[in-house]
Amino acid sequence: MKIVKRLLLGTLIVSPYVIAQEPLSDLDLELDSLMAMDVQVTSAMKRAQSAFDTASSIYVLTKEQIIHSGATSIPEALKLVPGLAVRQLDNNQWAITSRGVASRFSAKLLVMIDGQSFYTPKFAAVYWETLNVPLYDIERIEVIRGQGGLLWGSNANNGVINIITKNSIDTRGVYADISSGSLINHDANLRYGGDIANKGSFRVYGHTRDGDESDKGISLEPADFTEQQSAGVRFDFTPNDEWSALIQGNITQSTLGQNFRGVIDETNRNMSFTDSLDRTDSRIMARVENRISSQANQMLQTSWLKQSGSQTFLQEHFESFDIDYQMNFLYNDLKLDWGLNYRYNDISFAQSSFVHSDGGYNTLHQYGALVQGQYSLIADKLDIILGSKIEYNDLTGWENQPLARLVWKPQNNQVLWTSVSKSVRVPSLIEFNDNYIIDGQRVEEVSPIVTGIDAIDNYYVRTYLNGNDKVKSEESVSYEFGYRQTQHDWALDLSAHHTIAKNVIAISVDNNIEQFLPIFGLLQAGQYDLAMQSLTNTSVNFDIVSNAKVTTNGGDIILTWQPSEIFNAELGYSYNTFDYKLADNTFPAIGYDSTSRQLFAKSNLALFDDHRLFASIRVENSNAYNVDNYTALDLTWQWAFHQNWSVAVMGKNLFAGSHIEYNNTRETYTLPNYIDESVTFKLTAKF
Amino acid sequence: MPLALLLTLSQSVNAIDTEYALKAGFLYNFARYSTWTDTNTALTDFVLCSPDSTFVAVASTVLTNRKVGNLPLLTKTVSITQDDLKQCQVLFITSATVDLWLASSLGQLNNIMIVGESEDFIANGGHIRFFLSSGKVRFAVSPDKLNAAHITMSSKVLRLGRVVDL
Repeated sequence: MKIVKRLLLGTLIVSPYVIAQEPLSDLDLELDSLMAMDVQVTSAMKRAQSAFDTASSIYVLTKEQIIHSGATSIPEALKLVPGLAVRQLDNNQWAITSRGVASRFSAKLLVMIDGQSFYTPKFAAVYWETLNVPLYDIERIEVIRGQGGLLWGSNANNGVINIITKNSIDTRGVYADISSGSLINHDANLRYGGDIANKGSFRVYGHTRDGDESDKGISLEPADFTEQQSAGVRFDFTPNDEWSALIQGNITQSTLGQNFRGVIDETNRNMSFTDSLDRTDSRIMARVENRISSQANQMLQTSWLKQSGSQTFLQEHFESFDIDYQMNFLYNDLKLDWGLNYRYNDISFAQSSFVHSDGGYNTLHQYGALVQGQYSLIADKLDIILGSKIEYNDLTGWENQPLARLVWKPQNNQVLWTSVSKSVRVPSLIEFNDNYIIDGQRVEEVSPIVTGIDAIDNYYVRTYLNGNDKVKSEESVSYEFGYRQTQHDWALDLSAHHTIAKNVIAISVDNNIEQFLPIFGLLQAGQYDLAMQSLTNTSVNFDIVSNAKVTTNGGDIILTWQPSEIFNAELGYSYNTFDYKLADNTFPAIGYDSTSRQLFAKSNLALFDDHRLFASIRVENSNAYNVDNYTALDLTWQWAFHQNWSVAVMGKNLFAGSHIEYNNTRETYTLPNYIDESVTFKLTAKF
Repeated sequence: MPLALLLTLSQSVNAIDTEYALKAGFLYNFARYSTWTDTNTALTDFVLCSPDSTFVAVASTVLTNRKVGNLPLLTKTVSITQDDLKQCQVLFITSATVDLWLASSLGQLNNIMIVGESEDFIANGGHIRFFLSSGKVRFAVSPDKLNAAHITMSSKVLRLGRVVDL
């Protein structure tokens, strides 16, 4: 078997957009690969398939890469994915997306753990800092760049990240690790797994982390310490070959330091604060899978997510309950998938100094159905995929997300694919329903007349960012094209896209100039004190509207090279350009006209029998984040000095020096810090 | 194998074929990572047998040109009789042929690794049993029974299976 082909075909993914499987004679007979493969050919959403044949821009981060890289958190692991924008605000907070401008509150990337969504409808944020998944028990992370709307629901316009954890039958035994270094005081993991009679298996795990502040802040001393404890459990049951079930749960308690700004008094100005926040995140999920026949299977999954956050000026509480049913079957040359989903959100958000809710949306319902058919026009050569998802949500009603894809495999080692799809992004409650007090505007900036009186002209008028229930869902249509080829020791993966999004959120400025006229009247009448008093009743409104249009063009190219069993390398380049078309008197809410380029290289070298050197380098060149370009090298050396024990030294952000990765502070209330170089030592034991 | 069958296999892979292909791959790994301790007779081939010709057809495709140790790996359809089984190092009893296995009363078979896929197969004289967990192939194994048949399996593989002591 060709080495690189094995590298690619061995990576099995949960993706719907694939053509026929490999001929049996090409099967990879390494035990690891066999254990990762699925027996069903019906390729629905929860079925593993070859990444090589997938008709979307997909990247599979394997468990080997995650372990060899020495990543200590999910965002750090995602830095290994070419084409993902992964930018760090401070030691806890991150902005991550693909094919878009990453934001702390980036609503267009759908993040899931074993199919359970972590989308929060209030801010449309993913709290990366509290997303605890034990990295050593991850099977793989699948990243789809671009629209994944159909099977995964709304808000997946820019991409989907699905973190798939290992079946507990494959994690029996004891695992322990402890790390410490320049930014981490300690980070320790412990897991124990075993059999339950001969019908099931389980694992329990715990994690604790105590992290330091950054060295250097931008305007305030850094306060971004970490105190985090987490525990979880997973059970898998296999009563017979037809049925299997899993139940898992996790609870994470975090106390995180941060610097932020907010308007809390009648100065109407942003004030800076140093504070800590407490968060408790819990999740439970259960799934039952049934193999109806060799040609059909079905799945029922239900999950519950609870997130509570508490900090001086913001109290939030969010719960969601999901239930999904999916069925897929094969009938001659047709593969058919269909499914139903329902989601219930419960949001309570104490009125705070910054955010006032118009109320009425404490609970949100969402339900829908999807159907997708894949038909072989020419057996093993040409497949067509058609599908649609229709979904109802309480904010914007019914939404429709159709797609059409074509996969052509002219030869066994080449695949060409193309796709047209529409996806929808439902507004968050901040955009739809809330009012947020932001840094005040000065009178001379917003009024038609300058008085020459300093106290008046430089008075900061209370300024609101107002959600708007007329805001429509953002609709984006993406045209994609891709090509893959494998040869003896290398492989190429190329994809390009042209995406047009309409109804994009922008901010319309209403200075309400008439409100100043009576004040000027009072001044002319010499009533200075009354004029000053009247000023306190003025306000400027930044209203959220959905009338912008954004065109994104871009592509990714990834070259994989494996000249021998002990060495492999990856070279990637990604390019995306964002072009905003705005109505008069508006400005973009997230991002602005910009271009992001990323050059990426990764190498993984096994030395002797028990040493390994893993390096990745990222050259980030972008004018989307209000920061300088930077180049960062991550280097990890591992030594398995005993069959049960290994040590590692990890250097992160080497050569980048102290740098800022994200500085779009207008879009977030957190104040970022300089990101530092760091060194971490790790000791791992497995029994 | 007839050419027509080869073509059918490579053109359209159905679900049964995939499952058997994976199981054939596992059997090959069981063979590679085990030692047959009683080596009285010098072998010229390593023979994987099954009474199920459908399985043997798939296995022969998957395992073309494979070797176990230095021996070429052969696949054969056999009947479940003492005589016919003498040539086998690994015997796979599919669920379609398990009744034949249960009906035969062969007594202790030494030097043959006996693998099945039916419930209670290990209680019914087998050493290893495949099962499916979330659509993936996994196995239960009785090292004691393997040892009794003069076969030792490497801990590398044992660790991946569910060890049962009967």
